[in-house]
Amino acid sequence: MGQLVVNGLALGSIYALVALGLLLIFNTVQIVNFAQGQLLMLGAFIGISCAVTHELPVAAAWAITMVAMALVGIVFMVLVYFPLRGRPAFLVILTTIAMGIVLENLALIIWGPLPVSLPSPVHGPPLRFAGVVVSMHQLFIFATLAVTLLLQFFFLTKTRFGILMQATAQDLHTARLVGIPVNRTIAVAFAFGAVLSGIAGLLVAPIFLAEPTMGGSLGLKGFVVSVIGGFGNLPGAVIGGLFLGLIETFGARYISSNFRDAYAFIVMIAVLIAWPRGLFGEKSSEKV
Amino acid sequence: MKPPKMNSWPILAANIAAALAVPIVAHDGYIIQLLNIAILNAIVVLGLNFVTGWAGQINFGQAAFYGLGAYTTAIATKAGLPWITTPFLSVIVVMAASLMLGLPTMRLRTYYLAMTTIGFGEIIRLIIVHWEPVTGGTSGLRAIPGISIFGFGPQGQIQHYYLLIAVLLLAILIAARVRHSVLGRAMIATRDSEIAAEQSGVDTVRTKLLAFMIGAVYAGLAGCLYASSIRFISPDSFSGTQAILLMTMLIVGGMGSIAGCIIGAVALTILPEALRFLGQWYLVLYGLGVIAVIVLAPGGLASLASLSQARRASVH
Amino acid sequence: MNPEPIITARGVTRRFGGLVALDGIDLDVPRGVVQAIIGPNGSGKTTLLNALSGASHADTGSIRVGGHEIFRLKPYRIARLGLARTFQNIRIFENLSVIENVKVAAACNSPTSLFNILTANARHRHSEADIDRNAREALEIVGLAHRANDRATQLPYAQQRLLEIARALASKPNVLLLDEPAAGMNMTESMTLLDTIARLKNSGITILLVEHNVRLVMGISDRVTVLDFGKKIAEGAPSEVQRNPLVIEAYLGRRHRHA
Repeated sequence: MGQLVVNGLALGSIYALVALGLLLIFNTVQIVNFAQGQLLMLGAFIGISCAVTHELPVAAAWAITMVAMALVGIVFMVLVYFPLRGRPAFLVILTTIAMGIVLENLALIIWGPLPVSLPSPVHGPPLRFAGVVVSMHQLFIFATLAVTLLLQFFFLTKTRFGILMQATAQDLHTARLVGIPVNRTIAVAFAFGAVLSGIAGLLVAPIFLAEPTMGGSLGLKGFVVSVIGGFGNLPGAVIGGLFLGLIETFGARYISSNFRDAYAFIVMIAVLIAWPRGLFGEKSSEKV
Repeated sequence: MKPPKMNSWPILAANIAAALAVPIVAHDGYIIQLLNIAILNAIVVLGLNFVTGWAGQINFGQAAFYGLGAYTTAIATKAGLPWITTPFLSVIVVMAASLMLGLPTMRLRTYYLAMTTIGFGEIIRLIIVHWEPVTGGTSGLRAIPGISIFGFGPQGQIQHYYLLIAVLLLAILIAARVRHSVLGRAMIATRDSEIAAEQSGVDTVRTKLLAFMIGAVYAGLAGCLYASSIRFISPDSFSGTQAILLMTMLIVGGMGSIAGCIIGAVALTILPEALRFLGQWYLVLYGLGVIAVIVLAPGGLASLASLSQARRASVH
Repeated sequence: MNPEPIITARGVTRRFGGLVALDGIDLDVPRGVVQAIIGPNGSGKTTLLNALSGASHADTGSIRVGGHEIFRLKPYRIARLGLARTFQNIRIFENLSVIENVKVAAACNSPTSLFNILTANARHRHSEADIDRNAREALEIVGLAHRANDRATQLPYAQQRLLEIARALASKPNVLLLDEPAAGMNMTESMTLLDTIARLKNSGITILLVEHNVRLVMGISDRVTVLDFGKKIAEGAPSEVQRNPLVIEAYLGRRHRHA
């Protein structure tokens, strides 16, 4: 059973990363990016192109992928955010979904439908203790999540630009009025959001293999995690992600593995009924 | 009942005449079947229009209701029940499902509602896929008995076509009637300003729920007809991708417009077949096309059509 | 003539986090009067209106309208009991025509069922005819009948405000809450509004008016209630209130306090 915990936490960490990317964008521009899963998929495939097709060292593949994803994030912003500023949320949802469809099918055209694997950046024998096996890759996942959280926290609260980003997130119009370079902060949000998903993709591919349609389900899990934790709430997203990872792993083992994907939705609906604002409450609230 | 705009009668008559003439011109059974699917999609999108177009509730569960209607019908007729029971069974199943989904979610806001309806659709799809003994799993169900009332039923694609046109006209008539009634106005008011609607005496929760249920019933009945006329169903036809497709039909056609529903459904059912030679690129262009429509013509194709008409005062 | 006040509110309190927006307000509004609620920005005027109409419930207190206790009732129930309101920021239904906007509220008094709608039976036709008549009457009162079939968004700003009033009237309310109806209007438009309000008063509707425009308030109100910091600081005839030192101080002395 301990093994299930470890596996669940590793899976949950990946979900948490997707959610973090999602929330970074949402907190800044109030857009829920329904193509976040496809960005994950893109990250995985860029990494695969570098490491497998072109046989670059995995570390280089990671570096190139992160830079590429940052660029993708900015292109995404230009195509989706700017034309749709001020439009009702519903249309933005549809647009991001459409972007997801575009990305997924471009991936199918470029890389084909067959699943591909990506080597992990870390090697070595797995840890064994208390009857539990923790692979180096799983350790790497935990480490990545921890490092990401620390970096994000540090960046947002201790650096000048990070504080500007928080200001933009709280009140975009006022931020613009006081001279904050709002477009720059939005660009950074999109870029980082895409990078986070890309990293999640690089972490998923060694375990579950990558194929172009993987984005849909993983993206949805990211949303579910955001909802469970309370939209906008970063610590909530992390806890929600780990929680979901555990539920899925235990559910697949003890209840049924066929309905693996359904557990996420069932949990989400249950949480929404009991706590309409998520377990930890939403960050923003609507004015009457 | 307030009659529709006076100038729309000739257009409506012309459209009906054109529709009736199609089988005379196009003999290819494949094309007729495609049109039949388009008509069924149009009915589903008309249903979606109540929920999303008028009441403003985003709903990615419409494909699930479509599927519930289809599977209920297929299972019932294959089990030997007379066809006449299937519309009623479909409606009951779909109304129960819509209540189960609707009651807890009517107070949710946009994004949560989107995710919840997506989740609902996924759960239904998983049930269909994994309940193999009953639903045939991923292979679906074949050789579904056709429509049969006292031994009579449409034979061949063309007869189905005329039947479906008649059903579509009924669906349009009902939609128009609802639109120009207390309920229709209440739905649109709820979408435009929920607070003002409440203050004007509209029970917005009940209105949204009603819109949701009516939309589900449309989809369920369309599903029943789908199973009985196409005679083969599989989970793929009712997946999350389909739900998105239905939503884009609504938007591309023109959200809130009855004519738009038909235009969008027919266009986006025929287009993938007509552009088959594009292969995978079709979906890429489709995605970009949807974005283009949203950005450039958010009122959809119907709004472009009405721009060319003289600026009429009344609203569709 | 019923001597009981049509609105009786006791101890109405509303907090937003640490801020006390309404502090134990007591209010009596006699039938058939035009009563204005004034006060500096942030004094709680709109919060009070929201509590009365159900848009944003008070935390504690009792509110009786026309004999019914409405504290914490849903807004649509309050509307059906005979209380209608307009909004500070215009909230017309953009996707409906002018007359359809008004018909939404007119339905309060002509309920119909889905069955009736689907079968288009006689009951439905009568109901729609009633609604149509009520709606046109309401539009006549505010002078918008000639634009009944226009899209609501085609109306200029001042007429959209009048449309909100027509919509509120269509439900045949006993009490009408007007939230800054003259905001953004020029002199001529305000005078037309004043006329309209006078006519409404003559037809027996009680009107509660939140307004900054002093001329309008003094010109049309029978009574004035002054709020400051969520408390009632003065109440009475317009001329008395105008001279009340507390009121003067509230406006002049604290002009720099922001909302």
